[in-house]
Amino acid sequence: MDGRKSAEERMQARAPEMELIREAQAGSRAAFDALVRQYEQQVLRLALHLTGSEHDAEDIYQEAFLKAYRYLGNFRFECSFYTWIYRIVTNLCLDQLRRRKTRREDHAVVVNHSGEEMDVLASVSDDRSFSNPGKELDRKLLGERIQAALEKLTPRERMVFELKHYQGLRLRTIGEMLNTTEETAKNTLFRATKKLRTQLAGLR
Amino acid sequence: MNCELAHERIVTAAYGELADEQTHELERHVDGCPECRKEREQLLALKVLADAYPVVEPEANLIARSRLRLEEALDALPPKRWFERLGQRLRNNFASLQAAPVAACLLVAMGVGAGSLGGYKVAENRAAHQMAAQAARIQAQPAAGSTAGVADPAEIANISSIVRQPNSHMVEVRYNQMVPQRIEGSLDDPAIRQLLMLASENSASAGVRDDSVGLMAAECRAGHSCQAQGIRDALMVALRYDKNAGVREKALEGLEPYVAQDVRVRDAVLEALMNDGDPHIRTAAINILEPVEADTSVRQVLHSVANTDQNPYIRTVSRQVLSRVPEIQ
Repeated sequence: MDGRKSAEERMQARAPEMELIREAQAGSRAAFDALVRQYEQQVLRLALHLTGSEHDAEDIYQEAFLKAYRYLGNFRFECSFYTWIYRIVTNLCLDQLRRRKTRREDHAVVVNHSGEEMDVLASVSDDRSFSNPGKELDRKLLGERIQAALEKLTPRERMVFELKHYQGLRLRTIGEMLNTTEETAKNTLFRATKKLRTQLAGLR
Repeated sequence: MNCELAHERIVTAAYGELADEQTHELERHVDGCPECRKEREQLLALKVLADAYPVVEPEANLIARSRLRLEEALDALPPKRWFERLGQRLRNNFASLQAAPVAACLLVAMGVGAGSLGGYKVAENRAAHQMAAQAARIQAQPAAGSTAGVADPAEIANISSIVRQPNSHMVEVRYNQMVPQRIEGSLDDPAIRQLLMLASENSASAGVRDDSVGLMAAECRAGHSCQAQGIRDALMVALRYDKNAGVREKALEGLEPYVAQDVRVRDAVLEALMNDGDPHIRTAAINILEPVEADTSVRQVLHSVANTDQNPYIRTVSRQVLSRVPEIQ
């Protein structure tokens, strides 16, 4: 493994990415491994934040790179490799999000005394956050509240918000990755923020 | 600008994606609209809140675990993929395409007329399973009337040349076999049989030798022109020298019908009985020697084997054979 590692490192230092890709396409496992090393951190970072689970992130990593390996021959340099890899990852993440959504959707919706729907997940959290909005909230609990709010978004809204807000990608790139237009991505972002604000109202 | 549009642009602007002139326009609107000012404040608050769930860098453990799992999965992928990619690499690599002219030459060999070559193809060889280069030299020549001798089966490595004699259909082919070739032909054809004999000696692959010896042995057992010079010789050579026991065993089987009539075959089998490292072959040799059990030289060998063979079963069987046949004075 060590010998192979140094070969990869050398390859990484020398070859610009395009050459790496070509070599990997020609069958060089070392070249493919070098590509993996270039992107693995970003892939994991995204998957980890999106799923909130190391286990799920690992699964996505595995599926994404295996898919990349299998379909590397199809990569024709019409977009950047970065976009290509991300497209694979985001689609896998979307699948994951959809699977989760169907599992969680049947949590009970409760109506409070004024007839408004209450978010049951929200009511499970610490009472302090409701009775004393001015008080400094426990960061961890707040983080959980955010996660819960994010889960209420549709998979696409969640994805766009993740890529825009958390990963800092441009709307145009996001559009490419999700196989849609910049305009659509923008509208999705807008819907996502609106929903989130509704979810998190009263938490200031 | 109406407020609805402004609300959308506020989001776009908050994420740095609003065009410059639109930003200016938006600023003017927001300055005069408390509603939209509040909207912007709330959006900024949302951004802050969202960061209460920050992006974390994956831990080194997680990365290492994931990578290891991926490597294992890649290692476990079916071999077919490796071959496909190797095939692709060969296609990409011009150097290896030197072997391609060989295919062309073999086709040219087809053009020979009424002579022994004809339009045939040699038996499929199993070189596809091995990546090592093999070398064989084949000379295609017309049969009767030609003064040229039989091809010398010397081994050649890594030389590739095609010499086509002008104004004739004769071709001399020397090739490095890196690419699997496929040729078919009739076993009665002397040139084919010659190739089989060459394959039995020259092939680096036990599988190929096994096939060629197997074919020749089958011919001999069936009694199809298993002449002394030629296939019978090749089988004896294989029995004596081949490193692979399976190949030697097939050679032995092929020689069986000739033990009685050909003293050289008998002697070759005796030698196998005395010297072969594989007990299966020694046992098979004993059985094959049955028609000549009474021969003096055979009995001498059997005596020696009965006393000195490492394998107790073989010693026993030798003794049994000896006791079965009365000694000839």
